[in-house]
Amino acid sequence: MTPRKLLTIVVLVAVLGFGYYSMNAAPVLSNHEYTYQGGLEWHEDPDEALSVAEQQNKPVLVYYWTTWCTYCQTYDDEHYQDEDVREVLDEYVLLAINLDDPGPGVNLAMDHGANYPPQHVIMTHDRTEVSELGGYVERDRFLQELRRGLDSVAT
Amino acid sequence: MFSLQTTPTPGTALLVVAAFASSLAAILLLYSYLDRTDDLRRVILGAAGVSAGALVAAHSYLTYQFIVGDYTNAYVWRNTADYLPLLYRFTGAYASHEGSILLWATLAAVVATWTVFSGYFEGRGSRLVQSLSLSVVAIFATMLVAQSPFTPIEVAFPDTPSGFVPPDGDGLNPLLVNPWMAIHPPITFSAYSLLIVPFALGVTHFVSLFRGEESVFEAWLPSMVKWLRVSWLLLTAAIVFGGIWAYSVLGWGGFWSWDPVETAVLVPWLALTASLHAINRYEKTGEYAVFAPASAALAFPIVVFATTVVRSGVFRSVHSFASGGIGTGILFLLAVTGSVALALPLAYWLLAADDLDRPANESWLSRRTVYHVTVLAFTVLAFISMWGLAFPVIRNAATGVEVSVSQDHYNLWSYPVVVLTLLAGGLYALLDTGRRRLALGVTGVVAILTAVGAFVAPTPNWYLSDPSALDPLVYRIVGNLSVLSIIPPAAFFAAGWITRYVSRVRGVPSRSFKLRETGIVLIHIGAAVLVVAVSFVYLFSTSASVALIGVDEVGNDPEPIVQDVPNSEYTVEITDYEAVGSPTIEEAARSPSGVLRVDEDVSIVRGEITETNEIEGTAVARLDDSEVWLANADGTASFDVGTEVIARGTVFEVDSGTAAEAVYVYTDGPNMGPLSDPPREVHTPRVTSHELDVTVYEGDETVASGTIAEQEYLRAEMNTNDPVIERSITGDTYIVGSMNGPGASITIDTYPLANHIWFGVVLMLLGMATLTVADGWFRKR
Repeated sequence: MTPRKLLTIVVLVAVLGFGYYSMNAAPVLSNHEYTYQGGLEWHEDPDEALSVAEQQNKPVLVYYWTTWCTYCQTYDDEHYQDEDVREVLDEYVLLAINLDDPGPGVNLAMDHGANYPPQHVIMTHDRTEVSELGGYVERDRFLQELRRGLDSVAT
Repeated sequence: MFSLQTTPTPGTALLVVAAFASSLAAILLLYSYLDRTDDLRRVILGAAGVSAGALVAAHSYLTYQFIVGDYTNAYVWRNTADYLPLLYRFTGAYASHEGSILLWATLAAVVATWTVFSGYFEGRGSRLVQSLSLSVVAIFATMLVAQSPFTPIEVAFPDTPSGFVPPDGDGLNPLLVNPWMAIHPPITFSAYSLLIVPFALGVTHFVSLFRGEESVFEAWLPSMVKWLRVSWLLLTAAIVFGGIWAYSVLGWGGFWSWDPVETAVLVPWLALTASLHAINRYEKTGEYAVFAPASAALAFPIVVFATTVVRSGVFRSVHSFASGGIGTGILFLLAVTGSVALALPLAYWLLAADDLDRPANESWLSRRTVYHVTVLAFTVLAFISMWGLAFPVIRNAATGVEVSVSQDHYNLWSYPVVVLTLLAGGLYALLDTGRRRLALGVTGVVAILTAVGAFVAPTPNWYLSDPSALDPLVYRIVGNLSVLSIIPPAAFFAAGWITRYVSRVRGVPSRSFKLRETGIVLIHIGAAVLVVAVSFVYLFSTSASVALIGVDEVGNDPEPIVQDVPNSEYTVEITDYEAVGSPTIEEAARSPSGVLRVDEDVSIVRGEITETNEIEGTAVARLDDSEVWLANADGTASFDVGTEVIARGTVFEVDSGTAAEAVYVYTDGPNMGPLSDPPREVHTPRVTSHELDVTVYEGDETVASGTIAEQEYLRAEMNTNDPVIERSITGDTYIVGSMNGPGASITIDTYPLANHIWFGVVLMLLGMATLTVADGWFRKR
């Protein structure tokens, strides 16, 4: 056995290990019920989210995203991980719809004219649209929009 | 489905000819190979020539249809429009799936046919190489017949009334209206096409080995190295042009975001790099007797894989606009070429290959072993990227769970491999100078410096990532290392290759040898520069943005809008705003003959009133002495002979029973105006460019100034951007804006060392070009 052959075998084993490990270690974005954006738990089915919203008397925040959208990644990393933002988000029922694979959210996406990610819509449990936020905004502005949404629902 | 879509048009007929001729040539070549005969040579030459000729003609014909705007062709209608300048009408031919496959097929046919015609390639195995190359062309041509870029509009859209010709095209994807995107596809497909011959040659090599006959691999090798090098060069250029485009148009976060398509094209690039390194040793010493031909053969299936990623729609990405249902053809090509190129070498390796004799006392850190480390490293890097694309799809298909592959997957897994590659590469270069002890000592010191550097982070920016407690262990370990650790190995790598260069060229009189070595050293220095710049640019990039209001009024106001940017030292000043529509109503208006030519319900027409009349109480005016008349629908328009007007209105054709038919455009006051004051508000431009004159200050100092623009396209989902990029030796200041009604949001990004990326790449391209040219001369001697 030459050093090179041994090395090749070691590397092959390491590569297989890497493949297995990385596949299982990857953060789960969505399973059959929820999707996990920015470490939060989001509903995938609008009907489900709306009925929860009715029960808890909360507005719904709809988040249109895709796997390839870099601004969504910024939302996930910076906005949704932020303490202040999370505090306000507690007052919402969260609904996230993958625009590439909207599933039960396909009609809602059409109603909201959600064409490209990221896009946020705040609505009440009876589907009345409160406000819409297209594209990317800074965290402070985002927080402000979320609070304003709560205020206008309350009044 | 296969033949139902095929509708006879001259273009499709050319494709059928190409499919038939290339299949015939491939079969006859196979027969010549099996039967050891050259009797059919004339027929083969004819068939191969016809297939290449037919594809070239088909592509030229498609381009011609694009230039003249032949909207009877559905593909042309979908991918161009009258308002586009000539360049983008020309490039529209390969803007979408069918056309780009046609371009690929055409280039592939030219390459394959050239190998048949060139007298350079003799020997029995050559027939098999040529047969395989033409088989690939035949598959392409058949795919195109099944889904033709020449499908007539009434076939593609069965609802259209017979004989209907759309007055204007649907338009080109706005993201492709960019000079970099105009040259990116031809370069990419040229690179891909050149890989056909290495594929065929690699496969033939293993077939010959199994059949126990003499392989033509050795004879073709010099030519194949050239194919591979040029392909590598073009692929590098294609990636770079794509990066420049993403940087300037997409405005989505720079040149590289590990989008599936970017990653997919990196895989063949890395594989080619590994292959070229292995073949280099193979040529000199006969090492990599299996890997060298196998990697050459595999490069082609890997680019087909990249195309699958781009086109299948399975992998979501910014390139999915190019996706189309042609998946099956591409998947077939991938399955066939991939399994042949994988199975044959693997089987040979397992069944037949015997180890070359090696000295038993060979040291563990020999030059050969170190070289092997780098070849393996490139393979591992290629695998990391390929796996990042594949496993979310695999896991989703198996369990229905969607997982995210963040940039951390690629960055953090690849980083240690890159560092190791740099150390091994530097060590190899020093070992090559013959001073073994020195080489090992220096490498040891650099390795220690690298390890120390990994723990020195002056600010949090220096950490490779910002992993959270939930991230996998590897991310937390590698992510918490400092990027300082890239400097020692990169510097060592560059210094090592410069040392090797100096020691090799010193005292050697051969100019071609010197030039060749210059090429090699340039590639390696370029790579070191590139790796450092890429490592730093994103970690140290900054971004700040500000929202402004009242932007639409700023041009009317003597005072500019001045506003501080929160969380930064910047101040933004807006001095002017302008919305520029294209095409303007003057450009969009048709001449009277244009109105007669197309079939549309509402037209904008432009012409001089040459005659007025009245028919049943309605005033009419003749334009340019033609059959086109304006009709005053409600009496609010005024017609004066001699004035040139632009008018919009409903088109009515009146069949008077005589040969000359009159066409009336029913217009009114608001829809009509003289050329000097046309009715602008009744025309919606295809694209509106919102242009802002911006100056950005940092403290009192101007850091950037210019016009930024955002283009808003009618019916398109995405907007495009023209940023202002202020380049300097330390990095770029990048200003981009998006309009939002009367407001605007301005973002100021900085990308440190951005220009070192381009510098590194230019060195690599220059080095590769030099090497390719000099190696040709060197071999001739």
